[in-house]
Amino acid sequence: MIRIYVHIPFCDSKCIYCAFASFVAENGVKNQYFDFLNNEIINSNLDDKVVSSIYFGGGTPSSVEPKQIVRTLETIKNNFHVLSDAEITIECNPCSTSQEKLFSYYNAGFNRISFGVQSLNNSMLKFLSRRHDKRVALQAVKLAKKVGFENISADLILGLKKGNVVRDARALINVGVKHISAYMLQVEEGTQLKALVLDHSDVIKNDDQAVKDYNRLCNFLDNHGFERYEISNFAFNGFQSEHNLGYWRGEKYIGFGLSAHSFDGKNKRWANSSNLGDYYKRKIVQEVLSKEEIDEEKIMLGLRCYLGFNLKDVSFDLENNKNFQQMIKDKILFREEDQVRLNPKYYEISNSIILKLLS
Amino acid sequence: MKDYIRNFCIIAHIDHGKSTLADRLMETTGSVASRDMQSQLLDSMELEREKGITIKLTPTRMNYIFNNKTYVLNLIDTPGHVDFTYEVSRSLAACEGAILIVDASQGVEAQTLANAYLAIDANLEILPVINKIDLPSARPDEVKKEIEDVVGLPAQDAPCISAKEGINIENVLEKIVTDFPPPIGDDNLPLKALIFDSFYDNFKGAVCLTRIFDGEIKAGDEILFMQTGKKFEVTEVGVFNPKMQATEKLSSGEVGYVAASIKSLSDVHVGDTITLFNNQTHQPLPGYKIVQPVVFCGIFAVDGSKYNELKEALLKLKLNDASLQFSPEVSQALGFGFRCGFLGLLHLEIITERIEREFNIEIITTAPSVSYKIFKTNGEELEISNPSSLPSPVEIDKILEPIVKASIFTPPSFVGAVMQLCQDKRGEYKNMVYLDANRVKLEYNIPLGEIIYDFFDKLKSLTKGYASFDYEIDSFKASKLVKLDILLNGEKCDALSLIVHEDSAYLRGKAITEKLKKIIPRQLFEVPIQAAIGNKIIARETISALRKDVLAKCYGGDITRKRKLLEKQKEGKKRMRQIGSVQIPSEAFLSILKLDDDK
Repeated sequence: MIRIYVHIPFCDSKCIYCAFASFVAENGVKNQYFDFLNNEIINSNLDDKVVSSIYFGGGTPSSVEPKQIVRTLETIKNNFHVLSDAEITIECNPCSTSQEKLFSYYNAGFNRISFGVQSLNNSMLKFLSRRHDKRVALQAVKLAKKVGFENISADLILGLKKGNVVRDARALINVGVKHISAYMLQVEEGTQLKALVLDHSDVIKNDDQAVKDYNRLCNFLDNHGFERYEISNFAFNGFQSEHNLGYWRGEKYIGFGLSAHSFDGKNKRWANSSNLGDYYKRKIVQEVLSKEEIDEEKIMLGLRCYLGFNLKDVSFDLENNKNFQQMIKDKILFREEDQVRLNPKYYEISNSIILKLLS
Repeated sequence: MKDYIRNFCIIAHIDHGKSTLADRLMETTGSVASRDMQSQLLDSMELEREKGITIKLTPTRMNYIFNNKTYVLNLIDTPGHVDFTYEVSRSLAACEGAILIVDASQGVEAQTLANAYLAIDANLEILPVINKIDLPSARPDEVKKEIEDVVGLPAQDAPCISAKEGINIENVLEKIVTDFPPPIGDDNLPLKALIFDSFYDNFKGAVCLTRIFDGEIKAGDEILFMQTGKKFEVTEVGVFNPKMQATEKLSSGEVGYVAASIKSLSDVHVGDTITLFNNQTHQPLPGYKIVQPVVFCGIFAVDGSKYNELKEALLKLKLNDASLQFSPEVSQALGFGFRCGFLGLLHLEIITERIEREFNIEIITTAPSVSYKIFKTNGEELEISNPSSLPSPVEIDKILEPIVKASIFTPPSFVGAVMQLCQDKRGEYKNMVYLDANRVKLEYNIPLGEIIYDFFDKLKSLTKGYASFDYEIDSFKASKLVKLDILLNGEKCDALSLIVHEDSAYLRGKAITEKLKKIIPRQLFEVPIQAAIGNKIIARETISALRKDVLAKCYGGDITRKRKLLEKQKEGKKRMRQIGSVQIPSEAFLSILKLDDDK
């Protein structure tokens, strides 16, 4: 069984904080890309043809003509065996989401939609160079619901100076959002944001303030029936993203398109080039993981989410690791038989804990 | 033959142009083809050229024709720094004359005086030379007067030169021949030769740099080092041209090298006398002493697994530097490393830089310490150079610390500031002399422990770089000293302990805890940082617990990026040391020395 990720690198405009492979392009470029992408899928020649989830991410998949999206999904369906209950997600920008588009996605078989809302504070949205505002964002969610989507997710950015992430979450839940992803704003190298703000203090909160936002959001969502099943992801009652969980579980997945990543579920990871020219030349970066690296990943990915990891699955001798024992004693880690999970209270510092465990 | 030999050295304050003049002399006498000329030839170590100082001595032989006669000029370069005073005095003993270079703008400085006195003590003929006369600020006449007034040497006929521009170099060469006496000695007497330096050659073993006073030496001779009593057979003798060139023999008055398959430099002691085993001289040369280190610190590899590489590096450095001392040390905080002894701060700095640069090992050095004499209440007496080995206060009767005699030259406008600094450093005022309208000489007795802390940097910044400074170890004196411990989360960190004067303990403790709070990253729990004397806490800061990591999006299954990040952080963690349950970065250990940088 595999999961499929499809990368659509196009956007109507580049957001100032974005460091992903995405850009604004003419229709000709887009058409050429989709031709190549569909060929890549057709020629993929994989043994495993059973698909349990599909994810169209970007960029902004909703910024291209819907027929290209539908065509690509059709290609996948024609070349693989997509399970009838497969989760099929598309990322959408609220402002490029018309009822018409949503209809064609729904009819083609998409059953989950993820909106890049980020914030419902208009001045912050403007600063982030998002082209929608609060009204447009909420309208887009309502439209999706009207069209028939049940499984609707929204992305929020934490740590913005203005706005109120709890209020935003409440408004989104009220219009039907069932899943929320919340990330801290990162000032990445090479982004406009990096060049723009020398002193981030007027736009970005400091660590202590940002973590307060995070904790308040966690409490609020917890009170409203949303489970934090991964550091940054919250799901109402069974609306977890199956596709993302696959990543944490270390399952096999195949990526198509620019800079798309793949994993054979064992020890091989590879990625298409993030340079369009190189991608067309089919340049691939591949790495084979050592046993130690695989085990490190198991711990790293398992502790990020509610799944945890099993001591029997890793070769490290944690039973005799002082740090590990101390963290069990301090209730930073929970242990039931051989399954080890991170106490959700410590999710926000999971990175430091994982590091401590591995070094 | 001996009448045509001149053995001389060049002495100067740092940066007055010693190496440049040496280069120019070699170039003018044709000892090096100008295409081989690389600025400051004698300073062969990369570090020497970079720092503009001479660390290892390199003698060189030049031929100079004067009045139709060919003279052999042996230039014995000397290290110009206070740390190497003993080496300087030994190389002076190998000469009959010394060129004293004085900068035409800066005039007489602290080391000019210190070195000139060494040369006078060694009974050398001294030729003052005024350098850098090409500079617009040059004031040669005033400087000549300064030399007469301050150093007490006639200077009216001193050549005024520019080594850099090659002005008046011939004049210096002539004066070397006319002013300096030829060596005296007797080829027929038993061999008497001075070792004034040594170095290690991968093929020849330890090589002695020698000046032959009486007799002669050639390959095959059986020689005896008189102080150490070791016996060797000479494999090769030769001179420096400036590269090593084997000769048939070395005779009295000559300067050159002796190789005798000596395995270790520790068998070769600067100042020792070489003689023939079967025909010994009755009078060894005077003044032999073993140089003792005065500054100590712990050296540890940042990556603890590189202990053996660090050991190799120190062994190799010691091959060429007998004054470097080291012994294994175990620190609870830093793991396995070495306690090292140095001749001074510059020596310490040179060695640590060479370890990092030439051997590519990142190291942590602990705060430098001096050697203290401890008298215990039970009558026991011990000497310690590592703060963590200080006995508990109740067992100590008294502690003696080394005191140096410091002379500081400064323009009068900074006298107030310099005196204040010396006082802050527990200096004891001795004397003040106005040398002329622009310069004052101050003399203080100051504890060496204060000098190695940050005295030099402070002096330079207070006087805008105008002051010069020199010191020599004078005596040991009882002081009210205490050990200041640093506790992290209640646990003592041995590598951060310091011995300080009681009166400054509180301020130092406060400054260190504040500094550490800035340097140590937040941990999973709250960490108190305390400074303590014995059981008494004198300062405290708290690092609050870590609140957040980055919650970055893990996009499109790009796990590789996450793992790379993790690996990078793991790498960073390797550079951290664990004290109890607290992770501290390696910079923390040196940071306690640089407390004032932030203010």
